[in-house]
Amino acid sequence: MRFNVLKKFYAIMFLTLVVIISAGLLSLTYSLTAEQIKLRQHEQFLGYLTQMFPEMTNFEYNNELYSVYDGGLLLGYAFTASKAGYSGDINIMVGLSDKDTVKGVLIMSQTETPGIGTRILEESFIGQFTGMKINDLRLRSEGGQADTITGATVSSRAVIEAISQAAMEKLAGINGQG
Amino acid sequence: MGKWLKEFVKGLVVSNPIFVLALGLCPSLAVTNSLDNALGMGAAVIFVLLCSNILVALIRTWVASIVRIPVFIVIIATFVTMVSLTFEAYVPALYESLGIYLPLIVVNCIILGRAEAFASRNRMSLAVADALGMGLGFTLAIVIISVIRETLGSGSLSLFEHVLFSLPVLDEQPVSLFLLPAGAFLVIGLLLAAFRRAGLIKNE
Repeated sequence: MRFNVLKKFYAIMFLTLVVIISAGLLSLTYSLTAEQIKLRQHEQFLGYLTQMFPEMTNFEYNNELYSVYDGGLLLGYAFTASKAGYSGDINIMVGLSDKDTVKGVLIMSQTETPGIGTRILEESFIGQFTGMKINDLRLRSEGGQADTITGATVSSRAVIEAISQAAMEKLAGINGQG
Repeated sequence: MGKWLKEFVKGLVVSNPIFVLALGLCPSLAVTNSLDNALGMGAAVIFVLLCSNILVALIRTWVASIVRIPVFIVIIATFVTMVSLTFEAYVPALYESLGIYLPLIVVNCIILGRAEAFASRNRMSLAVADALGMGLGFTLAIVIISVIRETLGSGSLSLFEHVLFSLPVLDEQPVSLFLLPAGAFLVIGLLLAAFRRAGLIKNE
């Protein structure tokens, strides 16, 4: 009996020790890589921003809205939108050429079903937003101009809803800037 | 030394984790749609397998047997998370394309299987041989599968953005079925059958 208790105590202590060492190693690795990961994510984001505005030289960021400039010339605005699709979040960047016209939409990351949900990446879907007025960024059934993809309704609907929600939230910020 | 070599070689052909033991088929189906992915996955698995086998062999006499599985899993998960963070920081493209299958190495049965069946019963030098052999055998197998799938599925084969070769007709009309999971099942099944027919694989 006594032997058994000791044995169990030893097992628990052993596992605890392993977990403590593991946590230490992980926080060490995390702190060593955190800065580099942040840098990469920033670089990647800049890449998307330049893809949207090829002439971009500098940008300002406030109230979750990016104002993009070519020197002193205002090129437009950009904001990000995100919503859960069929599997996992779809992260989107929306570019505006002026206060209420969409310049383009980019899918930054997604994990939709290959061949089905990934049709949201196709120009025939994502291209429909180019030139659209911000007030029309809603489903056609809700009085907007945006169409979903037949057979990929969940994924395409998520994209449209993410964009329209984010646009509504950010619109105030744009108008506030005059 | 003879024993070391024997343990090393067994993973490559006679006990190849994929073609003979049929372990770890999930990652081999999922990430073998391109050669780059297969090599990245192979490197990650070799590293995790080597580290976990060494550590498990080192602590094998002290680990209480009732908690050995949780201990092994914690060890494996730690190394996998370290690899995952390192990939995210330094090879983001590979990190993106491996996606969920990188963290899923934790539950790859090759790694837990080798820890439990081999490393916890043998001295460290042999555990190293076992890890290297099994890891390389796994990598070899997924490289073969990915070469076939990428060539048929996209009409060309590329290695880290250098196109190695491209086929004349398939280039324009690739059989994209081979890039989908169904193509992976077909390729693995046909390879297994072919290897058996050729006598490369025997039932143990």
